[in-house]
Amino acid sequence: MIQNKSFFFLISLFICTIIFSPISLANMVMDEKGMVMNANSDNLPKDCPQISETVNLIVHAGQKYATKFNGKMFAFDQQQWNVKPCAKINITFINDDQIRHQFMIHGLPGYLYPDGMVHLELYGEGELKASLIVPSQKKTYLVHCELAQHAEKGMKAQLKVGGGDGDLPNISAISSPIKMDAYSIDWTMLKWGGMVILVVVTLIFVSGRWLLFRHFSRRK
Amino acid sequence: MFKKYFVWGLLSIVAALVVVITQWLPILEQHARANPPKTVFRNADNANVEKPCTNDHVEWRDAQEIEGVTLAASPSCEPDNPYTIASSVKGTNNVSMMTLMQSHLAQDAVIMGEDLDKDGDPDVIHIKLEVVELNGFSPDGDFLMNTYDIAPGLQPSLWVFAPKMQGMAVKNSNSRVAHPLLRAPSPVIRVEQGDKVFITLENTHYLPHTIHLHGVDHPWLTAAGHDNDGMEEHAVFPGKQHTYEIQPRHAGTMLYHCHVQTAQHFMMGLNGMIIVEENAPNNWVQTFNIGAGQVRHPAVAVKKMYDQEYDLHYQSLDKELAMIPQQANDPRLISQKMSREYNMTTSNENYFLLNGHSFPYTLRDAMIIAGEDERIKLHIANLQRSAIALHFHGHKATVMAYDGVDAPAGLQLTRDVFDIATAQRLDLSLKTKNDGLNSYGAGLWMFHDHVPTGTTTDGMEPGGNMAILAYKSLLDEQGMPKMHDALFNDIFNKEYYAKQRPLWATGNFAVLLGDAGKVAPNYGELIAFFTVIGVLVGAFILILYSYLQRKVHDTK
Repeated sequence: MIQNKSFFFLISLFICTIIFSPISLANMVMDEKGMVMNANSDNLPKDCPQISETVNLIVHAGQKYATKFNGKMFAFDQQQWNVKPCAKINITFINDDQIRHQFMIHGLPGYLYPDGMVHLELYGEGELKASLIVPSQKKTYLVHCELAQHAEKGMKAQLKVGGGDGDLPNISAISSPIKMDAYSIDWTMLKWGGMVILVVVTLIFVSGRWLLFRHFSRRK
Repeated sequence: MFKKYFVWGLLSIVAALVVVITQWLPILEQHARANPPKTVFRNADNANVEKPCTNDHVEWRDAQEIEGVTLAASPSCEPDNPYTIASSVKGTNNVSMMTLMQSHLAQDAVIMGEDLDKDGDPDVIHIKLEVVELNGFSPDGDFLMNTYDIAPGLQPSLWVFAPKMQGMAVKNSNSRVAHPLLRAPSPVIRVEQGDKVFITLENTHYLPHTIHLHGVDHPWLTAAGHDNDGMEEHAVFPGKQHTYEIQPRHAGTMLYHCHVQTAQHFMMGLNGMIIVEENAPNNWVQTFNIGAGQVRHPAVAVKKMYDQEYDLHYQSLDKELAMIPQQANDPRLISQKMSREYNMTTSNENYFLLNGHSFPYTLRDAMIIAGEDERIKLHIANLQRSAIALHFHGHKATVMAYDGVDAPAGLQLTRDVFDIATAQRLDLSLKTKNDGLNSYGAGLWMFHDHVPTGTTTDGMEPGGNMAILAYKSLLDEQGMPKMHDALFNDIFNKEYYAKQRPLWATGNFAVLLGDAGKVAPNYGELIAFFTVIGVLVGAFILILYSYLQRKVHDTK
């Protein structure tokens, strides 16, 4: 496997990045409250001559934001954000729960954001700030919390740049999941009764006249 | 008149045919008489065949020192991450950023505080646990999330307590495999006798949970007057946290488990061992033993008496219960299925795990690896639904403690089968002295639950909690037992535990013990049967037609 063969290589690479590259060092900030990875407030994407707009985004995360959706447990306070191409986004990430939550954006260009990610993580209640600059491409970026079952249970959102390129699946109240839950249908006696009447009426309409006709003709 | 006879005649022919063709009904099995079918061979799909040992992290196996913490060698296939151990010993607040990052623990996972008695080790400890679902539902497609295989191809959903970590719950951003810190069993927690320990449950899961400290000396209420017994009526809800406080006066092997809807939550995996080590100067205990097994940094008192220390966590799963979180995403549906539709009194045990794995995965990280003339301390906890009868091949071990209480001399029984009821613990002293009593010499000696279900995986043998007490000289350079290659070829294969492959079909015996082929159907009978069916259906249509014709004629 890659890990064992190049472990020491990776370690030395890691040390080298720390020593020789202040940008890499700035890519990760970590303390006892949380961490930020790959924040970028200065470097323009290749396709952006300048920053088009500066958006201040306040994002809350917590269990209480899921109460407005049916069948979810965790959520961000908003499920969708729209920004212009080449916008600079100043994120203020606020965790209202007493547990860990993350705000991760995926699919960004790797030359600015290693692994294509910007990652904000709070170890508990608190607040973190980080900035990023998005490229000019019209695209919908995945935003979620990567804790086990958090995105699945509602903590998933989308960042649309220039209107985006469609909706991602399973965004609460915006898009359907790919693999869906099945719920019992609300059958009542009234609904069943209606169906029975429908059958009887149809039956009479199709065959009743013939039956009746036969009946009367016999009487004659 | 003619028509009447015709119809009656037709009806009798139909009746006769029906009687006749019951003799030719297509059947699923047939006697082969003198010539049984040939053996069929199916080549294993390479995608389903696994390497016995992936041999990652070779460098983790050596004895080493990290952050001043000495770690014993761990020659097994999958040794524990030494950085996680070092951070567990020193505290996540006392190690370098490099070590912490490689441990993947959160910076506040294990906070080591003041040395109250000035004996050289910290006495105020804050431990943080999260709750994680493994092999859970994904609304994004027909696959599971945060996967954790208990044996080749087997992914029952599991709930575990996990040390508070940082970063993603998967191996990397392109993977659905759970991060190595997130695994069964819930981690073994070690604290020192007399320490002020604060265990915080941060409920990252979507259902309520608690931590009940079973057998650990703890006041019923916290200092502030809140629940400290992990009681159901004081459940910690999703997104919330609660801190349990202990200052244990008594040392021993104890348990912790969720006490909300205990039957189900316990059997989903929310249980673990907590070991209170005897107080001693300079006693830096290994707070977390991830995945149980070998303790690479034993406590001072253990080191004095023993050469090695192992934690053995026995656990069982009901596949029906473990399927519930995979059947729906809506927490309300999961809760309904688990609380009301599932019935524990009609449940089964299908999977038997030792340290989170079933055989053959137990060979990767749940072996006891011994040298000769060693004395090994074993902490054994039965967290199964049923009792176990633990048997060691080639050895007789001695009980040193029952449920965390030292056994008086008269109860220090030396046996080769240990009965352990649910939630009981035994501390055993296992000697590898080749004297015909303690040990019969070097070997790859199996040890397993002797209850017949215990060594099966959903009924497939060999499986379950089977593991090996291996003498170092008989392990290969990857830490796997020698002389097992033929067996490995058969069972490190998803198709074996999917019940699709025969055992023993090797060499000359491939023909004799492979899968019997199928026999050809009796074509004569089949053709006759379906011809008659055709005739009957035709006759039916004919009768119906003539009947309707007559009716129409009559009405005219």
